[in-house]
Amino acid sequence: MKRRSFLRSAGIAGATVSTLPTLINSFTVQALAGGDPRLHAMLEEQDRILVLIQLFGGNDGLNTVVPINNPQYYEGRPTIAIPKNKTLRIHDDLGWHPAMKGFRGLYDQGQLAIVQGVSYPNPDRSHFRGTDIWLTATDADVLGSTGWVGRYLQTLAPGYPTELPAHPLAIQIGTQTSLGLLGSSGTMGISFRDPEEFYRLVNGGGGSAEVPSSEQTDTPAGKEIAFMRNIAKSADVYAQVVKQASDKAGSSTADFPTSDLAGKLKVVSQLISGGLKTRVYLVSWAAASFDTHANQTLTTDPTLGIHANLLTELSEAVSAFMAEMQAKGHHERVAGMTFSEFGRRVAENGSTGTDHGTAAPLFVFGSQVNGGVYGANPNLQDLDAIGDMKMQHDYRDVYASVLLQWFGVPSTQAQQLLYKDFSTTAPSIFKALPTSVEDHQRTSQMFLTVAPNPAAHVVTVRANVAQGSNAVLKLSDMRGKVCGTAILDGWTGVGSIDVSHLSEATYIVTLEDGPRTTHTFVNVSR
Amino acid sequence: METLQIRTTPLSLEDAVHLLRRATYHPTYQATKALVGLTPSEASAKLLADPVPPQPDLAWANTVPNLQDFAANARLWPEMQQWWMSRVLSVPHVHEKLVSMWHNIFTSDYINVYIAQWLLNQHKLIRSNATSYATLAEKMVGDPAMLRYLNGELSVKGRPNENFAREWFELFTLGIGNYTESDVLEAARAFTGWRINGVQGVYSRQLADTGTKTILGKTGSWDWKDVVRITLESDACCRYVAKRIIKQFVEFYPTDEVVSNLQKIVRDANYDMNVILQTLLSSEYFYSSAVRGALIKSPAEMVVGLASVLGARGVQPAYAVATMTKLTQEPFYPPTVEGWKGHHAWITSSTFPQRQRFAEAFIDGRQAGSSAKLLDADGKSLTPDVVAMAKQLPDADDAVKLVANMASLMLAVPVTKKQLDVLLDIMLAGAQVYEWNINSPSATQRIKFLLQAIVRMPEYQLT
Repeated sequence: MKRRSFLRSAGIAGATVSTLPTLINSFTVQALAGGDPRLHAMLEEQDRILVLIQLFGGNDGLNTVVPINNPQYYEGRPTIAIPKNKTLRIHDDLGWHPAMKGFRGLYDQGQLAIVQGVSYPNPDRSHFRGTDIWLTATDADVLGSTGWVGRYLQTLAPGYPTELPAHPLAIQIGTQTSLGLLGSSGTMGISFRDPEEFYRLVNGGGGSAEVPSSEQTDTPAGKEIAFMRNIAKSADVYAQVVKQASDKAGSSTADFPTSDLAGKLKVVSQLISGGLKTRVYLVSWAAASFDTHANQTLTTDPTLGIHANLLTELSEAVSAFMAEMQAKGHHERVAGMTFSEFGRRVAENGSTGTDHGTAAPLFVFGSQVNGGVYGANPNLQDLDAIGDMKMQHDYRDVYASVLLQWFGVPSTQAQQLLYKDFSTTAPSIFKALPTSVEDHQRTSQMFLTVAPNPAAHVVTVRANVAQGSNAVLKLSDMRGKVCGTAILDGWTGVGSIDVSHLSEATYIVTLEDGPRTTHTFVNVSR
Repeated sequence: METLQIRTTPLSLEDAVHLLRRATYHPTYQATKALVGLTPSEASAKLLADPVPPQPDLAWANTVPNLQDFAANARLWPEMQQWWMSRVLSVPHVHEKLVSMWHNIFTSDYINVYIAQWLLNQHKLIRSNATSYATLAEKMVGDPAMLRYLNGELSVKGRPNENFAREWFELFTLGIGNYTESDVLEAARAFTGWRINGVQGVYSRQLADTGTKTILGKTGSWDWKDVVRITLESDACCRYVAKRIIKQFVEFYPTDEVVSNLQKIVRDANYDMNVILQTLLSSEYFYSSAVRGALIKSPAEMVVGLASVLGARGVQPAYAVATMTKLTQEPFYPPTVEGWKGHHAWITSSTFPQRQRFAEAFIDGRQAGSSAKLLDADGKSLTPDVVAMAKQLPDADDAVKLVANMASLMLAVPVTKKQLDVLLDIMLAGAQVYEWNINSPSATQRIKFLLQAIVRMPEYQLT
């Protein structure tokens, strides 16, 4: 197989494809862990994955998470409201659509967060504008040109696409490239439907011909050529990596339904199980749409119909995916989030459907998620002029939760990525990052306490060191650069390092006591 | 540059093929040569004045739709797709580009519309009104496929369905930012009253909300026709149409200035596409070097253009449809009501190599991703006669000139000296320049190598 043929044929052989080692929080496992398998394992745990599920069309939140005791809900929806006794219990005033059995299962296990009333100021009711706002994480009146995920991934690989990480940073299962994955120098992700097919496409070329690329120019055509060269380059580099992961994955344990969405999440699960270090996956329906203007439910049974079918597909696919992750032992480093450009109007229209609305619930799932309902039941008496719900959470609050709590991004950087500070309104959706001693008992038995964590000025370590030894404490940043050292008191096992001059980030604490070396993390935050 | 001033310099070969790439699906050498030396105005007039050949109807075009049997309808969908593509494959007229453009504005898809006769009628509506946006927009309101696709048939007085009204403003006429939520609500009221009867959209004043409404700042007892009139009278509508035309025919990111200039022409022409295109396609702007190669080919342009330039007649429409589908442009099946986004959206890490695999295999007379021969409609092997194609070009017996001429014909951007040298090496495959002989038996394979190298270049994706 001519692995390089696509690269050559795209006229980019002259470009350097310097494949960096796997990226983890913008440093490399290999460089840092060296020969230490325990640190390696610890860093791998840090390698967290986000699976985004887009519900294009505007999901009807009220019929997904039903306010079962709200008279306005039933008055506004005489035909399509889900009867209280058909819902699956969330709490006394809230019930799942009966199609959401899988979500209910995750919720009951404390692995699913329902964030109520998610929207943004001056919500847009256009599918396309609304989707762009959600993907770019901008205010409603700002036309963004890059995606929030793309911007985050760019911080992990500042040299992209000149320097490509060894594994793709983001993968979209399908044939589109989402605006959400767009960084300032093009897409940070790749897209394909099937790893095998992708590999064949990239490597199936007949020619070994190598036509050099024309010089990059600032003309529109020159920009398009550069755009295509970058895509060709990442396709060439990643087709093989992706196939290897897919081949290595082995068969699935979980019973994936045969639906479009489940098939895509199955591919994601295989890539994760096969060891791919991709940070973000994006999946969506190929054709189906949540745009339920008409025939949202059957007129004879409001629990059945187009919307029920979509929710069934969503719920079953996610449930199978999480079961598979659990079975393969990856559940602790995988979290998922749904999003949709808007919810739907409270009152039904005359076509057994609902028109475009505003705020709606959003779901975050995973074993590291603090399950529960965030926010109050929707207030259907306090609607806007058009009859739509007011927001409780800005969608960027949830993005901030993901960045800060799941990916461990420092708050100053999260603020840059989201253009505003959402750290104070970000709900605590995720369990704490494994930065504490407790989280790393098995890899860091020498540490007793690392406090405070997060630290603002001084971090003090207490460790279990040999009496009278001169154990050395080192603090290094995520690129491995040492930024502080201290000698531990040989009798008390206590040492302190000044961190007041360090920028907000996660740092590695290394303890060297004679032949023993161990590591843990500390966050610097102010 | 962007004043839409008419260019007077006669067309060079590169100019002529640029015009054909943008205005038609068939940028062949023969057609190009016929335009060289004409002034831009003469060339556009010639293309626009060409009679549109009649199209034989589908056998079931006038049959009664089967509203119950899904399978009976589903069988008609591929027939309809192939019927359309057979037309695109065979008719080198501007009209086909217009039809594609309108389909991408007034979208529909066979899954949602379901009834093949309705979708076929909508296609014919577009076909017969492709030169007048104003007429087309008005007729689209009561078109059965549209009434089904955006729920107009279910919208009732008192509890209107906003689906059509919103897309009317956002996607069909004005573009976002040029209407309010209140306009959507009020227009939704005015668009009530439509039902489908057989293959007809039927409007009933009794079922319609004819009460007082305010639409785009104008208040009255408006009905659907008034909404159409008020919308089309607005400058925003002229601007939106102007921008869509530029994005289709010239470049994807036009300046506000050039859009404003075309907007005036759209207004003066009262949306007559012949008038608008005659000006646009004759302008200095259209021929400026900045816009050459500034667009990415759609899958239809990719598939039909390659077959056409190679002189491969008789490509099975089903193969064209299948390839376009893989390249994410399945006829009658846009991804959303917004249609295909086009340009960058055509190129992903999957579709780019897929385009290359399709094109190299096609040159070799094979189906993409397989060793199976490409067959024409009669079941005969369809291997492009690349030697005959090369021999049309001047000086085909001069290897250096042949490579340069082939690159000019196939690529929308000028190639560098270095690229030409490599392409020459590829064609010669070890032989010396002076040994080149177009009549030698090995010429076929060597020209194939050349063409395959060209279609693999990112430059080939541009138009």
